[in-house]
Amino acid sequence: MSHRIAGSFRDPSGFVFREDGVVKRQVNPGFRSEFDALANSGLYDELVGAGLLVSHQVEREDADGTVVIVPRQVPFVSYPYEWSAGQLRAAALVTLRAQRAALERGMTLRDASAFNVQFVDGRPLLIDTLSFGPLEEGMPWVGYRQFCQHFLAPLALMTLVDVRLGQLSRHHLDGVPLDLASTLLPQRTRVVPSLAMHIHAHARSQRRYAHDPDAPTARAKGRFSMNAFRGLVDSLESAVAKLERDVPESTWVDYYDGDSYTDESFEHKSKLVAAFLADVEPAQVWDLGANTGHFSRIAASQGAQVVAFDVDASAVEAHYRALRGERSAILPLVMDLTNPSPGLGWEHTERESLTARGPVDLALALALVHHLAIGDNVPLRRVADWFAALASALVIEFVGKSDPKVRRLLATRDDVFDDYDVEGFEAAFAGRFDTLRREPVHGSERVLYLMRRR
Amino acid sequence: MKILARRVAWVVYLTMCFSLLIVPVANAYIDAGSGSFVFQAVIAFGLASAVAVRSSWGRIRSFFRGRSHPE
Repeated sequence: MSHRIAGSFRDPSGFVFREDGVVKRQVNPGFRSEFDALANSGLYDELVGAGLLVSHQVEREDADGTVVIVPRQVPFVSYPYEWSAGQLRAAALVTLRAQRAALERGMTLRDASAFNVQFVDGRPLLIDTLSFGPLEEGMPWVGYRQFCQHFLAPLALMTLVDVRLGQLSRHHLDGVPLDLASTLLPQRTRVVPSLAMHIHAHARSQRRYAHDPDAPTARAKGRFSMNAFRGLVDSLESAVAKLERDVPESTWVDYYDGDSYTDESFEHKSKLVAAFLADVEPAQVWDLGANTGHFSRIAASQGAQVVAFDVDASAVEAHYRALRGERSAILPLVMDLTNPSPGLGWEHTERESLTARGPVDLALALALVHHLAIGDNVPLRRVADWFAALASALVIEFVGKSDPKVRRLLATRDDVFDDYDVEGFEAAFAGRFDTLRREPVHGSERVLYLMRRR
Repeated sequence: MKILARRVAWVVYLTMCFSLLIVPVANAYIDAGSGSFVFQAVIAFGLASAVAVRSSWGRIRSFFRGRSHPE
């Protein structure tokens, strides 16, 4: 049983499909020589050895030139609008390093889409093996526009204006338009040479030639020397490398240091979570509302692949930086659970919704339900419905109205949440889940549950 | 001569900065790719020069380093 994955349908060189649960890539006969050049030039070995490109095995070579490869499987496909600024920066640098290596072997990246990068073992990796083609002498980089729109512009906006502007990439799937970035960036960036060139002046050039049928594109061909190409990559790399700031302050980054727990209850809760996880032994865990990842690390330490979602970009950035540089089974991502990533692109299928990327073996929902039920007015029964679509097992914490965090939520609104108590919570979840374990957390009025979907 | 070249470079740089201070009108482009293509040809000379200068400077530095610290 096989079916095509929608995200690759635009590519004439091949397509990605899933066969018996394994993701594979077909190389079309017309692109065979380019695919062979990747290996014959030595670029494939160099990039895989340097941890820049996903490795693959050739599964099949047909007489008509069609090749089917099986790439190393990506545990969870994430999208640029779910990354923190640090993750986007790391993905940009990997793209440029691969392009530099390609140039020295007479090859080039034919595109520079941020969707071609995925995080595996905590590190960004190019996954589109068919992005590489032979370098045509004198030709400018065809991926330049895409690199600036997919990486440089959103990164500059997230770093220099507001980290929430990363969400622009969710609307602009082919990258943030440079005229928009140019308008939103502060005036001072117009005198920063790299941003003045690659965003502001670049945007003006796009505007000038966008509707001009006589744009001198033919003259541009043949005028781009190898040194110019190297200089372009150097210049972009220097621009990207400088776009790093301290993690912005946020309520959530210090959440564990606040008044929600005593040390005793936090330690007890950690032990209970570890014990519940050991009962299920999940291979994949989604930590919903992971903050900076304390409980994600417990799940990862038991051998699970963990995706750690949080609405707060600063918490995700802090989490990513804590893991950066080490081989990690945890992928921190920005996700607003009250408005999760939808299906996007052509026919809503090019980029999958969060729900479509599940279900997983187990979801952690710790210190989360009160934010959904009271903070966002989501009825408990609907919380249970969605969680049942996301995971077959659930470690979930109920935080009652007497808890300081819930009291704070209720301080500025009418308490219209009559069903919000332990009995109401258990009744709402009983429709979807069986409770396997139920343990009060010492030193608090919180209760931790291990549930299995019916 | 050096001072004149530096002044010319400053005038070019400040003119570029000034022209960028004018906020462009937003458009939904039919084709943003042509402008990116042509733009690379415009900046090619500067990019190539930067690489040439860096590589020459590296050679000069290694020449003198080699002379002052013979192995």
